[in-house]
Amino acid sequence: MHTKTTLRLLTLGTTLFAGIACADPLKVALVETLSGPSAATGQMFRAATRFQIERLNAEGGWNGEPIQLLEFDSQGTPAGASEKLKAAIGSGAQMIVQGASSVAAGQITEDVRKYNLRNKGKEVVFLNVGGEALELTGSKCHFYHFRFNGNAPIRVKTLVAAMKEAGTLGSNVYSMNQNYSWGLDMEKSITENATAGGYQLVGKSLHDTQKVQDFSPYIARIQASGAQTVLTGNWGNDLLLLMKASRAAGLKLRFGTAFLDQPGNLANAGDVALGHYVSHPFNIEAAGEQGEKFASEYQAKTGHLPAYIEPQTVFALQLVGNVLKKLPAEDGRLNTRSFALALEKASDRNPLGDVRMRAEDHQLLMPFVVSVVSKEARYKVDGTDMGFVPIKSFSADEAAAPVQDACRMQRPE
Amino acid sequence: MEFLTVSLLNGVIYGLLLFMVSAGLTLIFGMMGVLNFAHASFYMVGAYLAYTLQKFVGFTTAVLLSTVLVGLLGVIVERFFLRRVHKHGHAHELLLTFGLTFIIAELIKLFYGNFSVEYRVPEFLNFAAFQVFSTDYPFYRLLMGGVSLLVFGLIYLLLTRTRVGIVVRAAIHRPQMAEALGHNVPLVFMAVFGIGAALAGLAGALAGAFYTTNPNMALELGVIVFVVVVVGGLGSMAGAMIASLLIGLISSFAVGVDLSLASLLGLVGAGDWAQQMGGLMTLKVSSVAATIPFALMLLILLIRPSGLMGEKG
Repeated sequence: MHTKTTLRLLTLGTTLFAGIACADPLKVALVETLSGPSAATGQMFRAATRFQIERLNAEGGWNGEPIQLLEFDSQGTPAGASEKLKAAIGSGAQMIVQGASSVAAGQITEDVRKYNLRNKGKEVVFLNVGGEALELTGSKCHFYHFRFNGNAPIRVKTLVAAMKEAGTLGSNVYSMNQNYSWGLDMEKSITENATAGGYQLVGKSLHDTQKVQDFSPYIARIQASGAQTVLTGNWGNDLLLLMKASRAAGLKLRFGTAFLDQPGNLANAGDVALGHYVSHPFNIEAAGEQGEKFASEYQAKTGHLPAYIEPQTVFALQLVGNVLKKLPAEDGRLNTRSFALALEKASDRNPLGDVRMRAEDHQLLMPFVVSVVSKEARYKVDGTDMGFVPIKSFSADEAAAPVQDACRMQRPE
Repeated sequence: MEFLTVSLLNGVIYGLLLFMVSAGLTLIFGMMGVLNFAHASFYMVGAYLAYTLQKFVGFTTAVLLSTVLVGLLGVIVERFFLRRVHKHGHAHELLLTFGLTFIIAELIKLFYGNFSVEYRVPEFLNFAAFQVFSTDYPFYRLLMGGVSLLVFGLIYLLLTRTRVGIVVRAAIHRPQMAEALGHNVPLVFMAVFGIGAALAGLAGALAGAFYTTNPNMALELGVIVFVVVVVGGLGSMAGAMIASLLIGLISSFAVGVDLSLASLLGLVGAGDWAQQMGGLMTLKVSSVAATIPFALMLLILLIRPSGLMGEKG
């Protein structure tokens, strides 16, 4: 009786007091494709995100608290991404990280924009670490979206410049791409770079994404066009099957790609992959001592060398961490408006060179590397005897593509 | 001319490969009324088993062995899983096979990882059979087509010319009567399921080397195989053959067709207007080549729901 009431009063008292002492830890939500066909890529984004968040927490977290990483599985569909975004925001996340699909990114960026319109003062920031479709910093750009990776114009510009210098571009180029936002962007860039690259676009094809098993009809078309080089933004099976089909037909085509460094590609393609090019944001061999240090740290934590989309994710969150360190809490919470204002002016140095955020469209200006598949590489990939040898590095300014007219960013007052 | 020949060849071979996988599925459905969602998973298991065995026993033995093993897997699935659910009706059997798809896919990812594996055509089969207008035509493709035709021939003969075939066909139409006459109908079902699975495994073992072997194989092929079976008619082998060839040829030829509604309208002078409309008007046939089989399936379901050669009613 007495003890029961005292106990009740005591619990009530302590809970009241408990609320005052804690600050709100910063919650970052990863809304990613963790199941389904593209799960492998989504899991790499997760590994890289976890790596960097842990590093940030080892350096003190934010506002005296460790940053909490919440993970949500969008299952690779826009509907799933939208649903999980709601769950993430409901759990108190103030930053959303996503990268595995431009389609999902398109959905998330729109949902975040609409949420921010209706919830002034409680805005959420979308950190896009992988969606490369142009519209994300174009027609769909908004103040709370930041892109930390490349896009089609950057990939094509660097590829064309490097291949032309190496003398392997040829004068007849074929554009082979997937029929969705990313592939369409690539096709447009390849067409636009024809004068700069000194080539003639002899043909272009769009095909259904991840549906085509038999690429031989496409190879027949490429052959009929007389192209010596194929520039493509294909990824996954679409790239592998395309390359294998061209080898099966005995064609000596040169491939310039954006995603040849996806794990599994070299193992599956074997010698078919030798001599082909990829334009990517990081190559350990091109990053000198700093790059090696980062690579060995990453391998120690995750068990594999940083590859494909992992470096850009780590560097993105590193930049975010730098901005956070200089940002004090307001009422115990992160003021995302101040954060976004600071992030859009931020700059940093990653192992490849200087990076800085462009305030006009929130596209990170970052260095790029074009590499060729060779047996001479220092870092072998996929357990094969081949790897990516860097042949040309581009600084952030050299690689950058101009701001799109379609981006009309509404800035907060 | 060049385009026609190459597309014809490619389409026929691709169609024959599709047939090898869908033959098993339509056989199983025809005999047992079970639509086996896990059929494409058997295809994937066949590819992965052949990849593993190849390192120990060489390519040909690996392919044959993996066929037999996948057949055994099919027998086990039927005997210990499907048979228990049989009395609850078709819906439950469907759900079971659906669940199996996920289990098999995750098991594969557990053992082999998330990315594609190094399963390639062996060197002694990796040469050009002949030249078609200065492009090489790989021998391996002809091999796949040849095996498919052989399989079709054998099964057709088995079903129509042997005693076993008569019993199997009787078990389709009148299972109770066949059982009353003393035939072991459950054994027949088990054997048919096993053979269907073995066919899928064989297709996987052969195609996995030529295309890619990755944990999403089942998803990639599975949908198209269903389209083939629906278009051809559930239960009909001949229908499966016709539908596979049709879909293979359509997919192949569509790639080279750059027509769109806008170009058709151009014939009547409305071309520019259509181009400006954009969207559906300027959608080229070639960019939706892989989606046309689904449109075909829709058409068949509207006009002739039992499929091209399926039984009416």
